Amino acid sequence: MPALFPPRTTPLARAMAFGLGLLVIALPVGLMWWVRQPPVTGQGRTAAQPVAAFSHRLHTRFRIDCRFCHAGAERAADAGLPATTMCVPCHEPVWLSGREFAAVRQSLRTARPIAWNRVNRVPDYVFFNHAIHVNKGVGCETCHGRVDRMDLAHQAAPLTMGWCLDCHQDPAKQLRPVSAVTEMGYRPARPQAELGPELARAYHVRPLTDCTTCHR
Amino acid sequence: MSGAHPQEDGHRPRGPEFPPGADQPPEGMSRRAFLELMGAALALAGASGCFRQPREKILPYVVQPELTPGVPRYYATAMELDGYATGLLVESHDGRPTKVEGNPDHPASIGAAGLWAQASVLGLYDPMRPRSLRRNGRRAAWGMLAQALAPAALAARAGARGAGLHLLLEPTGSPLTAALLARLRARFPDARVHWDAGGNAGGVYHGTALAFGRPLQPHYDFAAADVVVVLDADPFGAEPNALRWAREAASRRDPEARTGMSRVWVAEPTPTPTGMYADHRLRVRAGDVGALAMDLLAALVALGTSVTAARELAAALRARAAAGGDAPWNPAWVRGAAADLHAAAGRGIVIAGTHQPGDVQAAAHLLNHLLGNTGRTVWYTEPVLPEVADAARAAATAGAPTPPGAATLAQAIEAGAVDTLMILGGNPALTAPAELGLPRALARVRQVVQLAAYRDETTAAVGAGGDHWFVPAAHYLERWGDGRAWDGTPALVQPLVQPLHGGHDAAELVALLAGERSTVHELLRAEWRGRAGAAGFDGWWDAALRRGVCGTAAPRVAPPAARLETVAGMLDRLRPAPGGALEAVLRPDAKVHDGRFANNAWLQEMPAPLTTLSWDQAALVSPATARRLGLVSGDVVRLDVSGAAGGRALEVPVLVTPGQADDCLALPLGYGRRGEDERLARGVGVDGYALRTAATAASGIVPGVGLARTGAHRDLVLTQHHWSLLDRAEEIVPSAAEAGAQHATPPAPRRQLTIFQPVQPQGADQWAMTIDLARCTGCSACVVACQAENNVPVVGREEVGKGREMHWLRIDRYTRDGSDAADAADAAGSLDDPDFALQPMLCQHCEKAPCEYVCPVAATMHSADGLNEMIYNRCVGTRFCSNNCPYKVRRFNWFDYNGEVAATEALAKNPDVTVRGRGVMEKCTFCVQRIREHQIARELGQAPPPVLTACQQACPTEAIRFGSLTDPASPVHGGRESPRAFSALAELGTAPRVRYLAQRRNPSPLMRPAPGGAA
Repeated sequence: MPALFPPRTTPLARAMAFGLGLLVIALPVGLMWWVRQPPVTGQGRTAAQPVAAFSHRLHTRFRIDCRFCHAGAERAADAGLPATTMCVPCHEPVWLSGREFAAVRQSLRTARPIAWNRVNRVPDYVFFNHAIHVNKGVGCETCHGRVDRMDLAHQAAPLTMGWCLDCHQDPAKQLRPVSAVTEMGYRPARPQAELGPELARAYHVRPLTDCTTCHR
Repeated sequence: MSGAHPQEDGHRPRGPEFPPGADQPPEGMSRRAFLELMGAALALAGASGCFRQPREKILPYVVQPELTPGVPRYYATAMELDGYATGLLVESHDGRPTKVEGNPDHPASIGAAGLWAQASVLGLYDPMRPRSLRRNGRRAAWGMLAQALAPAALAARAGARGAGLHLLLEPTGSPLTAALLARLRARFPDARVHWDAGGNAGGVYHGTALAFGRPLQPHYDFAAADVVVVLDADPFGAEPNALRWAREAASRRDPEARTGMSRVWVAEPTPTPTGMYADHRLRVRAGDVGALAMDLLAALVALGTSVTAARELAAALRARAAAGGDAPWNPAWVRGAAADLHAAAGRGIVIAGTHQPGDVQAAAHLLNHLLGNTGRTVWYTEPVLPEVADAARAAATAGAPTPPGAATLAQAIEAGAVDTLMILGGNPALTAPAELGLPRALARVRQVVQLAAYRDETTAAVGAGGDHWFVPAAHYLERWGDGRAWDGTPALVQPLVQPLHGGHDAAELVALLAGERSTVHELLRAEWRGRAGAAGFDGWWDAALRRGVCGTAAPRVAPPAARLETVAGMLDRLRPAPGGALEAVLRPDAKVHDGRFANNAWLQEMPAPLTTLSWDQAALVSPATARRLGLVSGDVVRLDVSGAAGGRALEVPVLVTPGQADDCLALPLGYGRRGEDERLARGVGVDGYALRTAATAASGIVPGVGLARTGAHRDLVLTQHHWSLLDRAEEIVPSAAEAGAQHATPPAPRRQLTIFQPVQPQGADQWAMTIDLARCTGCSACVVACQAENNVPVVGREEVGKGREMHWLRIDRYTRDGSDAADAADAAGSLDDPDFALQPMLCQHCEKAPCEYVCPVAATMHSADGLNEMIYNRCVGTRFCSNNCPYKVRRFNWFDYNGEVAATEALAKNPDVTVRGRGVMEKCTFCVQRIREHQIARELGQAPPPVLTACQQACPTEAIRFGSLTDPASPVHGGRESPRAFSALAELGTAPRVRYLAQRRNPSPLMRPAPGGAA
């Protein structure tokens, strides 16, 4: 039987065989790499909000503490969002008539909540607790980024398990004094390599890598 | 699976542990077809991973209430059942109740919650609950009903004095309801109230009325009793005060108890949780219990217990003792029990079941009186249910059993006296004796208003003609109210949510009839302002709601003069029935009670205590009776009662159950439901009420039942098929003596396991559990508590039949001294008088866990604090772990059991626990969510209470203890190093963190010692 392909195609066949082998390795590796990239993790993504003009930047400029609105952060698993009536005392005299506040006014009128879109989301099988982090010296900024430079909040961190474990395996490198947890643009007074372990000892912080620390 | 299978191909039966055919390949699909399909499924499954997480909304409050979102809160309330309230603390997550716990401050709970309370959360969210008020089947408004029932309108039709107004109520100790009824009677003096004591609430008063001349509430102190003789009662299982009594009795079942072990003598027709505590258990037909009580009395008189008041009686009793002989039971039991009671005079208790005829209960009261127990271990108070008690007294005077409210109602309808009928509780069309013809009578009443949780048999009987209203009843978690515990302590019922489907309650309707338009909340506050005083009432009210208790127990009344003369009549009347005649015992079921919980999937799926029957009902027969009648488990038999009503019959499968009395069929009530809304309960079992007549309704004891085989067979769904421990009792669940021997000579492991490194505990906490088998009654409250706490799915009858039930905690039961042959369905063997061994089985959290070594994706790991962790999001479902688990406690999600739950049912889920999807393994986590929350609270500087696992918290007898081994004060240490402690399958070297304390009996020296320790 004559050869189906001329000899000059041999290198091509070899290249294809090699390429196929490469693909078998590269495809899974590539996919694993891809799912950790911002388009999949959502890092950097901003969600549209019912109050489109809301600005974290503006609120932090007035030196309003994060916990004024996100009051659960210190006490509960969920940091929480402020109730509609929370906006009123400050905004009533100045702004509440504006077009930007339509959603707020509607919420007050109908007694139905403002439906905000979630920005930072961990899967249902992850049980994250704000209180324990905030009270042990993990700053808001550490996970949520420079909120004081955001208008509508965007997701600052990849929120992947590897990213969580970075810190859970060696928490000392991310700790700050509890008094500074809400500070934006925090710079440690002393080198973190020195301060971190000290704070970890003081706050009784240790690496927590048991699966049930987060998955229950 | 077929009953028999060919054995020529070398497949030998593997013993009774495995059902026939368990080692055969599955049928129905060829291996090739299977692989083709699975290949395609696998390829497509990869694609299903490619989706983006859905966008979620966050809905903050409009006006922030005084709570932190996401932090659960607990509210005290109470659940009323059979007329008595049990105090509860209910966990509420952002406004939705998710979990019921006992209220430690409430005398009928003392921190425990039974399985009905545990399962009531699912009842609240049942999607089949009716959603609207209806008039003649069409939607209607509450205002229309209020108009129709306005006093003026009522007086016009039912007479100015309300002669045509009849109410049917369930027994209740509610002070508010009593006050409202009094106001209603003031307005309509001739209105009549019928108490539908379906659960035989009046039985207990019947007994005291016979014994003392007036109805009283008996109380027992099981913690102080050295000797307890139980005559067909279930004080540690089904009685309204069982949680408290079980805890008190448990404090004396522990061989290490400071006050010493009590000795419990139980005579009963069918095994109950109380029977599990028996040191000597006598199987006796329910109808013979009275004769047994007389024998006991005679034996006591023979021993010298004084009957000074009645010389002739003493002579008669002595004659009876001397004659002896003809009784179908072991006389040694009677002599032994009598000797114990006599020796422990003043420190004993004799208790007869409230289902037993008044005679038998009266005999028990008189025995306590003669022995001097009254005033010490037994005392009396005024009745908690006075109106029910009055009916019982009237019946006792007339010498008849207490007629059910349905009977008096049927008479009234028959006489044409009923114009307006308010059915405010119960399901009379189901529970009334059939010869009353109540369903037909109901259809003739001009106006019927029915308040019920579901459109049930009564709704169907009332029909859609005339002027018939159906009002959906509010769940107890949706309404205000009050109630009384067995000891008379009042408690408030406070709602956790607004009625989900616009429910109403009985008090509201009674108030409406009395012409009061206030809400129940207002009425309740007014009632208690009158009782507690107006001064400082708001503070009192808040404290009462917070504590869950709003008063004290009823005061004791001086022991009344006992009427010993009644015994003379009983002596002749109470004789054992001739042998051979079959008796049926029809009692409320351990799962669905009188049928009201039949639509609750948690309860339906729960393996019944001891029989492990799931999603079904069966007539229990003893192995000896099954042999005599040629029956095997699953054979459908036709039971018929020839009686005044012309005979009725029903067909039901039998289940051969060790420990059942011979010639006695136990058929639980509450099945065979036909209600329109209760679709879940439809087709499960048959309606046992059909066999009861007016004469036998109160006791549920139906003598002279005919039994015929139909030739049909039903595969009953059991979760444990074998009773025998084979030759492995020492390894699985040793008796105390065997466990002690193990300690005396440390066991030489059968196999030296050398590949495992010794475990070095690292964490500050080392979690462990100790389960005291001497305290376990097998009541199964822990099983439902675990299901509620951990979002354990319900899988249904077919799946349970395939062994796919999902319970993280099961209660294994064995018989110590049965032989193998007894298990085979076709040969009942020698399990006639078994000694039961119970063993709650859950993940043992092995320090050297076999499951962890075989998981290819590290989805089950060990934590530093000694937990065997299961990580659902990693699990790919190889099931290697389950295969390698020697305790068989791992459960696999074969389907997406949680994918199809109704919207309301999803609200019952615990938000602190992952809801598992298909293809994932799961198992007991030691309630890790509670552990982690406790640790977080501790780290935040709060002082959280000790971690309680859900099963531990529910356990009425404190058999389950949990804590950290590093905490010297933890209750987990209790008995952990005692000679009774053992690990299940210790020789495998898995080093479980769950340790059991062996059960020990306290046998009487008078009884012939039996191999297992009990007779």
